[in-house]
Amino acid sequence: MKMSLSYDLFRPYSLSTTYPLAGDGACSGNGPESVELPLAMPSPSLSRSGKLAGVAIVLLLVFVFIGPLVWQQDPSRQWLSQISMGPSASNSARLVDNDSLWQPRGEVQTAVVHSANTEFVRLQWPAVEGVHAYQVFRNFAEQSGLGIPLAVSRVAYYQDELQLAETRYRYTVKAEGSDKVLAEWEVTPEPAMSRFEAQLQGLPEQSGRVILPAHPLGTDALGRDILARLMAGGRTSLMVGLIAPCLFIAFGCLYGALAGIAGGWLDNVAMRVVDFVIALPFLLFMILLRVAFGIGPGEDGVFPLILAMVMMSWTGSARLIRGQVLSLSQQPYVEAARLAGMGRLQIIVRHMLPNVLPMILVSFSFAVPSAIFTEAFLSFIGLGVAPPSTSWGAQCNDGIKTLLSHPQQMLLPAAMISIAVLAFNTLGDALRDAGDSRLRELS
Amino acid sequence: MKSHWGQRPSPFLIFFVAIFCGALFFAHSPYAQAQAVDAQTSRITLSLATEPPTLNSAQATDTIANFLLSHLMEGLLRYGQDGSLQGGVAERWELTETGARFWLRKNARWSDGKPVTADDFVFAWRYALKPETASQYAFILYPLRNAEAINRGELPVENLGVRAVGAHELRVEFEKPCPYFLGLTAFMSYMPLREDMVQRWQRAYAADADKLLYNGPYIMSEWIHGASIRLRRNPNYWGRNEVAIAEIDLPYFTADTSAQFNLFRDKRIALASLDSGQLDKAVEQGFDIHQFQTGALFFLEFNFRKGRITANKSFRKALQALLDPSILVNKILGMPGVLPAYSLFPTTVTGPIRSTGEASYFRDQFPVRRVTANLDQARDYLERAKKELGITAFPPLHLLVGDSPRALQEAEYYQYVLKRGLGLELRIDQQIFKQRLEKMRRGDFDIVAAAWGPDYDDIMTFADLFSSWNDNNRGRYNSPHYDALVSQAANTADPKLRFQAMAELQELVVEDVPILPTYESASLYVQHPQLRGVRRSIFGGDPNFRDAWIALPEGKR
Repeated sequence: MKMSLSYDLFRPYSLSTTYPLAGDGACSGNGPESVELPLAMPSPSLSRSGKLAGVAIVLLLVFVFIGPLVWQQDPSRQWLSQISMGPSASNSARLVDNDSLWQPRGEVQTAVVHSANTEFVRLQWPAVEGVHAYQVFRNFAEQSGLGIPLAVSRVAYYQDELQLAETRYRYTVKAEGSDKVLAEWEVTPEPAMSRFEAQLQGLPEQSGRVILPAHPLGTDALGRDILARLMAGGRTSLMVGLIAPCLFIAFGCLYGALAGIAGGWLDNVAMRVVDFVIALPFLLFMILLRVAFGIGPGEDGVFPLILAMVMMSWTGSARLIRGQVLSLSQQPYVEAARLAGMGRLQIIVRHMLPNVLPMILVSFSFAVPSAIFTEAFLSFIGLGVAPPSTSWGAQCNDGIKTLLSHPQQMLLPAAMISIAVLAFNTLGDALRDAGDSRLRELS
Repeated sequence: MKSHWGQRPSPFLIFFVAIFCGALFFAHSPYAQAQAVDAQTSRITLSLATEPPTLNSAQATDTIANFLLSHLMEGLLRYGQDGSLQGGVAERWELTETGARFWLRKNARWSDGKPVTADDFVFAWRYALKPETASQYAFILYPLRNAEAINRGELPVENLGVRAVGAHELRVEFEKPCPYFLGLTAFMSYMPLREDMVQRWQRAYAADADKLLYNGPYIMSEWIHGASIRLRRNPNYWGRNEVAIAEIDLPYFTADTSAQFNLFRDKRIALASLDSGQLDKAVEQGFDIHQFQTGALFFLEFNFRKGRITANKSFRKALQALLDPSILVNKILGMPGVLPAYSLFPTTVTGPIRSTGEASYFRDQFPVRRVTANLDQARDYLERAKKELGITAFPPLHLLVGDSPRALQEAEYYQYVLKRGLGLELRIDQQIFKQRLEKMRRGDFDIVAAAWGPDYDDIMTFADLFSSWNDNNRGRYNSPHYDALVSQAANTADPKLRFQAMAELQELVVEDVPILPTYESASLYVQHPQLRGVRRSIFGGDPNFRDAWIALPEGKR
């Protein structure tokens, strides 16, 4: 959040070019013909990487704000039968009735699979004399080894309901305490959904089947659509990332400019206040604000988060602008304008503002990534958004649990944060370079 | 053990977590390259979930301390390799309805060579009950005559129903029948203490390796706070010849299961617990995965204090009809071995002894009635609750949970199902363990995700949890029927009457829903193939290496 103070101070107007302008302004008042000099921005000749960053930012905004109109999935909807899935297309699933107390009728002579769907796989094998307990293992068919020990069963059948996916499994049954394999199956469960879940999700039944939506990026550990969550999370992240810098830079600029223009003891006091704010610990404030606003446990903390950022982060831009205003006010052309009888307001509007505006823009584009990052960090440690709302940071936090087995759940939101931060940083760099007259002259 | 542990394991719970979370492991030589097992010097290296808060057996409450103390100390009895009770310091014993007698081994010694005497037990038990000791586990000594009054400061400690007859005989008198007393004597609060050591170090007792005495199979040769612990075989232990592993190093303190799994993969530790995040990886790498039922019950506890919506029975029934434990277990948790819970009593609770003489499980004899998830029924109940409460809409409910990732995941699942199924808003209040206990104590919740690990091998450790006089009944559930059933079972030694009362209690919990059982936890772990005979058990400290040994390498993995 700390604004870097190391930018080159921005002095686009050399004495020789600005002096006549100042005079011109003084003579012709606010005549329209006096606008020939670059009052607004230096010519926006952005570098190629700057343009690329600009495009990336636009794409991100489109993804986050327009995307949900196209991809209309509820980001907090949990597809319980599709936990931690990879990318998948829309498909239909059979409705089944779960019965956790299932028992087969009678004994069997050979190992049998009674049914195999993603809700349950029912296995039965011939009972063996003298065996008190059977161990049932499950592994992916293409992997060697027994895999995970599902259960120790005291009867010669077993119903597996544990996070079944539509992939090929190998089941192995052994007598407990021995290495001898009693039965082995390779099974691919067909897609299914329990009636209870279908009712809970409100899915219409069509001849015993329901249609499940596609998940282009897969689902997370609670069965939520990752694409929809990236959009929803980005909305929080970018909103915080844009609103907070807007507010604190606006406030910082105003404060810095007033201090610079007022000068004297007022300026002195104002700058000591800035020093004081810089010394405050951000995290502590963040927590205090949550308490002060009565944000109870489990409630969204986005508002105090933005407020804390505004309260703590305006100092950088205040200092920057004050320094700039001070140095500008000693420029000969400003003095000339003053001598020529121009009012304070006019000087500000004609000379100060155009000169600091590019700098404000640059600091804004640097503040955005750091705000995104702060939000991500706070959500990561649980001080930001509260479920069911989400943000990229919160999604990283969710995904870290399954990093080993399902890395995309953490890597995708992390990539979004990285792209956003990189794009805004690159844009900031490009804006600064574009605005720096010395660099421009060199090139 | 005592203390609810939910997502964030409580002390005792932490220990399970240690186990569950795979706290323990073997290897030796913490420095340079630690090695998981060293057959030549018979050393193993493990990791510990966290450092124990105290090793004073009268004050310890957590699973880590229980693990360490079960190696460092020995009570009158101990749990053997097959899970049965065997002689510890006691050589013979006799249990009646009114009391018990124990005859101590003459060769049981402290690590300084002095014999373990009956007076050491008398002192330890009195010390644990003294109000100044403030032992959280004092209640576990309440079967002794006058124990409760002494603990409340109403009687001097000399009135405790235990006395030493000579150096090697201990006589115990009960307050009321206690058929499970023998199992209690294996618990850490019942372990002996040497009066001279406790007096000498006072509050610093057991704060360092040299500030306590050992009478168990191991001594603590080194305890660097925050860094490492090292156990060595106790040369003065009476059964030293039965102890095969000479040294247990604990150079890693981490509760992070992926860190533990990485240490295991690098052959630094000999045992590592797995969470669902490491499971697939462990399978892929071809490790043998072991499973162990921890005996702990996880549940949602409702707040019955005045003004709470959760005090309404129809409302609780609506949640019961909506939340199917098997969906939580099979879809969300995804840990094999974790069982959906439908009853106050986990499947591991022992039932009456069969006519054949073998132990049985309570649930095999008294199956629980299951409530199947039914959305329409849940909505009906909710409507009824609305009428009974005279409200038109429900305010947001607060769900208090621990701060582990798994806890949050579970909470988000409840949040979604309640919203989707009943339109209820659930706010998740995630707190660290201490803070969660504090909020539970204050009653600052509507629903709390809690857990309970059994303290002793008897059904009563679960049954009296929600009796109105129990401090751990955080929801302040108050049912005369429940209390009557608990008292009825507590005041008789007749197994038939006891278990009949317990069966009624089980049905009462399903009918009245003071809690919603969610799952029975299990621990998945990987273990070095050369390490054998490690005892995993619900009681008596887990895991236990007293009877473990290191096999010679087989030339393959």
